[in-house]
Parts: sequence; structure tokens; C-alpha cells
Amino acid sequence: MGPVTDDATTIMVVDDHPMWRDGVSRDLESAGFQVVATADSVAAAATRAQATQPQVVLMDMQLPDGNGADATARVLEVAPQANVLVLSASSERDDVLQAVKAGACGYLVKSASATELLDAVNATAQGQAVFTPGLAGLVLGEYRRMASEPTPVGAEPTPSLTPRELEVLRLVAKGLSAKQIGRRLDVSHRTVENHVQATLRKLQLSNRIELTRYAIEHELD
Amino acid sequence: MERVVVQIDADATLPFWRGAQVFRFASVAYAIGAQVVSVNAEVPVGSGVPAYSHPLISWLLIALLVIWSGVSGLVYAFELLPRPPMVITELVITVLLIASTMWVVRPEYYHHHQSLPSTFWVTNAVVSVALLWGPIAGGVTGVGLSLLSLGVEEQFHNVVTDATTPILLTVGVTLGIGARIVTRAQQELSAAVRMQAATKERERLAREVHDGALQVLALMRRRGADLDGDAAELGRLAGEQEQALRTLISRQAAMPGIDETTELRSRLQAVLPADVAFSGPADAIHLPDAMVTELVAVVVTILDNVARHAGDGARAFVLLEDLGDEVVLTVRDDGVGIPDGRLGEAEAEGRMGVSKSIRGRMADIGGEALLDTGPDIGTEWELHVPRGDGQDGARD
Repeated sequence: MGPVTDDATTIMVVDDHPMWRDGVSRDLESAGFQVVATADSVAAAATRAQATQPQVVLMDMQLPDGNGADATARVLEVAPQANVLVLSASSERDDVLQAVKAGACGYLVKSASATELLDAVNATAQGQAVFTPGLAGLVLGEYRRMASEPTPVGAEPTPSLTPRELEVLRLVAKGLSAKQIGRRLDVSHRTVENHVQATLRKLQLSNRIELTRYAIEHELD
Repeated sequence: MERVVVQIDADATLPFWRGAQVFRFASVAYAIGAQVVSVNAEVPVGSGVPAYSHPLISWLLIALLVIWSGVSGLVYAFELLPRPPMVITELVITVLLIASTMWVVRPEYYHHHQSLPSTFWVTNAVVSVALLWGPIAGGVTGVGLSLLSLGVEEQFHNVVTDATTPILLTVGVTLGIGARIVTRAQQELSAAVRMQAATKERERLAREVHDGALQVLALMRRRGADLDGDAAELGRLAGEQEQALRTLISRQAAMPGIDETTELRSRLQAVLPADVAFSGPADAIHLPDAMVTELVAVVVTILDNVARHAGDGARAFVLLEDLGDEVVLTVRDDGVGIPDGRLGEAEAEGRMGVSKSIRGRMADIGGEALLDTGPDIGTEWELHVPRGDGQDGARD
């Protein structure tokens, strides 16, 4: 647990519950992170993200004026370099998927231990996807849902997983670590992480294409 | 605070009652007109013999008719008094007024004319009965008053050609049916509004619990995990309560299925211990009830086994996948694994081995169970169940 330094990772904590917000902020600061802002609503999160440009945003899923997916999109609009880590309760699954599609790069359940949280924030700060088994299961489900739906004529083909990506994602969803997966598949854990990142990027890209197409079709530019 | 005002249990037939009083007003005007025309008539015309034997009393009776109409009209339209005694009184007055014809008018006249309170005014009593007691009571009253009226006029032989009976019967039955329909619709609407309000309240409570108690419990669990001794125990207990509350909320939010299927994911999550990591798709997965019950039971059996045999610190993971034509449930632990031959040994000893039980139960629901285990990879069960014609599969 190091002291706060000038190059400490800057963090914004978004949660409408003051006790949780303060507790997490305290934990983060004592671990050497710099909490530059806290917010209790989607609107406040967008304003403060723009003002403070945090490197990491810890995002709750239920906010009084919207959900975490809206908040993630709004924050990334004004602070594009921020990495959003979603903290959620297990019951908000669909919201979590929406937040990930909106650009969040990780998902952790609120009951995770402080050590798990700090590890996740560290990984997020470095731009790595924090892929819990839960998130892998959601992403896997989303690819399968997209594959089962017919693509409209003339539309961009929906993104799909390569056989290797599918294999890796299933193993992550079953709770194996990158190292364990690397051993099983006889590849380096870096390769495993790259596969995982790729699945997430394709999903976010397709979401952006979808949104753009929607905007063009409905002349919402 | 949002406040929704919905008039539930209001009297749905009130608009009918009010409309009926407009008709009553018109019928009173007609009755007065008929009295003015008839009271000075002569039978036969030009004979000098007055049609009415007691013209003064007939005027008093018409006055009673007018006063009663005014009072009852106001009472019905503004719900001033309970309706049943009013309607009974109205019936009695109507019957007496019809019968009074024989007293105040000479037979030579009323034998060929309408009774004193005309058919038109008599209809009011039929309308009131129909609105209050429904189509059968309305129809019976209509026919009864019509026959009484025809009897007084000694016109029974004209019952088929006279329009009175069919008109009063139709009025009684149709208005009765109409009143019944709107009353029932109102009751159903009230029930729906009540149910919606109850659901809203449940959702509000769930949000409140989520925003308050759950967050605090999650925080206690998180901080407790970093401490030792009693604090760690408290944290663990808080975590268990957090899980129990979440389960309660998610179960409460689940709507009962309208068909014979159950949502697998929520049922599964409800029984999983707090330390089992669950992952699955965002969309609901519906399977036949029996299949879901058996699958959940098999998962619980496997997890019990993990707790007993996988060793200290072993973690368990459950992955739910929807492959379209089949549903796959993977239960994995990162424990010591089952040494080669152990499962076979158990079966050879004739015990109800884990393997046999799990495989047998999966086969019963038309699925299969695949086991992958080894000393360094833990134990992994893959449970496959077919989708769609699953119920047929469960029967063979």
C-alpha cells in the first residue's frame, strides 16, 4: 500500500450510496490511488468526468437518474480515455451487458473482496479487461444471441467468435485464470488475454456500428 | 411522492342510473299530458258520460306519481339513500297506481285505453329493477307489470299483438345485462389496479432494500474478508444474508410462468451458495418445470460433493449456456479432482455412486452428464439437456 504520488492512478467513484462510496474511496486511497471525484448520479458523473478526466471510473449500475450503461456512455463521451470498471450486484445482468457494450472494460460483483477490487482497478488502469467468469458468461451469451438472430439484408454482418476465442471465453466463464487456460491450450497467458480483449472489442465495435446505423436511419446526427 | 388516484370499487352503474332519470322526467311529462287529455273525456264520445268516475282522486294519484318521481329520481341520481328499499317502494307504488285505474276510471273507458299511469311511466320501475338486480329480475318485472296492466284493461286476449310485453321484457333484460357487464368490468379493473399497485410496491421495496441494506451488507462482507477472527466471521455472516436477500428479491420479482415452464437461471441462482461463482447469458432460459427442478437438484448434488471432497479452499463455478437446441450447465471446481478409478470403485462396491446418480438423473430428463476430472484440473461436470421437445424426452 503505497502513498499517493503525482503519477498515482486517478479514479472517479460513481455510486449513489454514500456509505459504499466513502468506504471504497477510503480503500482506494489507502492503496495509493488518487480518488479525484465521486458522483451519485449519471449527470454528476458526466460533469465530473469531463472536469477531472479520471483514468479509471468505478461505476455502480443503479443510479437515481439512469442506469450504469447510460452513465458509462455519457462518461466515455466526455472522457474518452477513461477505463470504466462496472461494480454490480448479480441481479442486474442485462444492465451489465449494456454497460460493457457501451464501452466498460470490466465487471466485478460488489461482494468481491478489497484485494480483488484493487487488483481489478490496477488491471483496468492498464487498459486490461477485467474478465470475471460472470462477464465471460454474459459476453458468450450475447455472441450466441446475435448469432441466432437473422442479419437484416444489407446490414453489417454481426460479429462472431473464432473457434479459439470461443474456447477461451468458455474457459474464462468456467472460472479458469489466464495462466490455467494458457497451460491447457499450450499458449502463453498473454495470448489468452489478447483473445479475451478481442472478444470484448468486437462486441463494443458492433455496438457502435449499430448505434451509428440507428442514428443514420433515424437522422439523429 | 408520486400519487395515483384511481377510483376503484366506484359504482359502475351510476351513469345508467343518471340516464334513467332523464327518461323518468320525460315519462312524467307524458303521464301528466295523458291525464289532462283523458280526465275530461266522455265514453262514448259525445254521450256526456265522463270517462273518470273519480277525477279528483285521479289528480291526487297523478300528484303522487309526480312527487314520487321527483324524489326517487334525485335519490337514484345522487345515491342519497340505499337503492334496494327505494326500488321495492317504487315497485309497490307502480303496482298500486296501475290497479287504481279500476277505481278512478269507468270500465267502459279503461277497457280500451291505457291504465292510469301509462305503459310509458311503468317502464321506470322495470329499469330500476334491471339496473339493481340484473337481467332476470328485470325481465320478470317487465313481463309482470305488463300482464298486470293488460289484466286491468281486460286486454289479455291481445297479449300477442300488444307491444307492451315485448317492450318491457326487452328493456328489463338488456339494461340488466348492460349493468352486469359494466359492474363486472369495473370489478376486473379494480382487481387489476390493485395487483399493479401491489407489484409497484414490491418493486419499490426491492429497490429500497437494494439501495440500502444490500449495499451495507456487501460492504461488511468486503471489509470483513480482509480481517481476522470475529470480524471475519461477521463479514461472512453479512455475506450470507446479502445473498439470501438478493435471492428473496429476485424470486419476488419473478412473475409466475403462464405455461408449464420455469426460468432456469433465476431458480439456479436462488439455490447457489454465496461462494459459488455463477455465469450465464443475460436472457432468460425457459425449460419445462420438471426439467428445471431436476437440473437444479443435480447441480446441488454436485456442489455438495465439491464441498465434501474437493478439499479446503476449492472454489466452485457454474456456467449456464444456451446453445439454441440444447442447454449446457457446467459445474466445475478447482479442487483436488477425483483420482482415476475412484468413481469406478464406488460403483463396483454397489454404493449409489455419485456418477451413477448424476448420470441416471440426467438420462431421466433426456439429457446426459459428462465428467472430466483429474488430479490437477479439479472436477468438471457438463450437463446437457435438449431444448424444445424436452418434455417428450423426459417421458421416454
